Amino acid sequence: MTEPIFSAAHLNSWYGRGRERKQVLRDVTLSLSPGEALGVVGESGSGKSTLAKCLLGLVTDVEGTLTVNSPRPQMVFQDPYGSLNPAKTVGWILEEPLRAAGVKDKNQRRRRVEEMAALVGLGEEHLSRKPARLSGGQRQRVAIAAALIQGSRFIVLDEPVSALDVTLQAQILRLLADLKERLGLSYLFISHDLAVVYQLCDRVAVMTGGEIVEQGDVDDIYDHPQHDYTKKLLAASLALDG
Amino acid sequence: MRKNWYLRIGGALSLLMLIFCAVGLFWTPHDPSAISAADRYALPSPAHLFGCDALGRDIFSRVLQGAAATLTIALAVLAIGAVCGLVIGGLCGYFGGAADAIVMRLCDAIAAFPSVLLALVVMALTGAGRYHLIFALGVLFIPSFARLVRGEFLRQRDLDYVKSARLMGVSPLRIVFVHILPNTFPVLLSGLTIGFNNAVLAEASMSFLGIGVTPQDPSLGYMLSEAQGYLLKTPWYAGFLALTTILLILGVGLLGEGIRSETGVEA
Repeated sequence: MTEPIFSAAHLNSWYGRGRERKQVLRDVTLSLSPGEALGVVGESGSGKSTLAKCLLGLVTDVEGTLTVNSPRPQMVFQDPYGSLNPAKTVGWILEEPLRAAGVKDKNQRRRRVEEMAALVGLGEEHLSRKPARLSGGQRQRVAIAAALIQGSRFIVLDEPVSALDVTLQAQILRLLADLKERLGLSYLFISHDLAVVYQLCDRVAVMTGGEIVEQGDVDDIYDHPQHDYTKKLLAASLALDG
Repeated sequence: MRKNWYLRIGGALSLLMLIFCAVGLFWTPHDPSAISAADRYALPSPAHLFGCDALGRDIFSRVLQGAAATLTIALAVLAIGAVCGLVIGGLCGYFGGAADAIVMRLCDAIAAFPSVLLALVVMALTGAGRYHLIFALGVLFIPSFARLVRGEFLRQRDLDYVKSARLMGVSPLRIVFVHILPNTFPVLLSGLTIGFNNAVLAEASMSFLGIGVTPQDPSLGYMLSEAQGYLLKTPWYAGFLALTTILLILGVGLLGEGIRSETGVEA
């Protein structure tokens, strides 16, 4: 059996300190196989974003066992307005991960940036612009390229299409599916939107109140939801679609 | 887009005053300290545009020289305050923790005293003179910049682009000075304009009180204390000094206001 990308067992996490300390993750057990896309679905406040931050080491108040076997996992954030440095050009933003990784040769960095930009559907003309002069969809492409350029194969996607309109959502989801195929990526896909998870993910975990109440193959969960909360979420998403 | 008159008028006036002060650094129509008994209290004439003072010195030349001195001192004070404040505020804001708490309480303590009073104490210890004045005022300007920059760093450090840089393994110092710093420029710029005006006023009041520059190296404030002595005989001397100070402050103040409304920064 291949080694999982990450495996978490009985993970508990808290937010705040002292009397304000609130538990946001309760006994979370979850793992991700290479090449797999795992959706984590829940309402805001369900602990899904905290789970993602735990995996990336951005949260410190954690108990339990957690192993991440992919070097330097990256994250694509929900709001592409906040996740790109507004003072820098797209070219600089994409070069910076390479500088941080110790790629000294400027020409080599430039070449990698151009390759990566082409891969996510950005042209050379975008590289000299600042994020403010890009559309939401273009910004999210930049964020994806920046996450991939160091060669990371495990990407946490935190509501990456929620800030975009429906046509752009479909485009970005297609791009993500395509990149996963071509580069053999593994995704942890955080979302409140079951329909979006259904399009991209192989497996899904449903979270509420910091707990995973149900997990399994997307089709199983969609066709035979077991937990009441999952049924409610499904009904809500169908009502929106219908 | 709405025309930003603050920015235009402030920019034009600042530029004009800057040129005026800069000219004084290199050239004056007469030697500003040349005494001439024949020209005592001379009225304005083509030879002496603004007349002469009690020692027969050309007032126009003196104002030019004083403005240049005031400008250099204010800019130097600003440079010390801004650069140190930037480094201290940036590091404190980004890293936080115990060091931040200590440094910020120290800044509170300094800011709690009236700055001119505190500068007076420093000057009493070091003695008068341009460089001592720059040092004293510069140090006193650090807390306000540190506070301003720290607040901005506190806001920026939780933004996703900073998290993203951390995940990519960018070193903390590089995040502070290369990633976040350029994003604090709008706030810093409007802080600089306020700071500049405060520096001009602080320099002028200290020199006016005789604890700033030395007589060999006069500034606007120092000259004003001279002009005060014969206010009734040559009122235009004090008037011209005051006008220069006011226009300088007005121009930079308007410029700051223009920058603030342009960038939507509240400082």
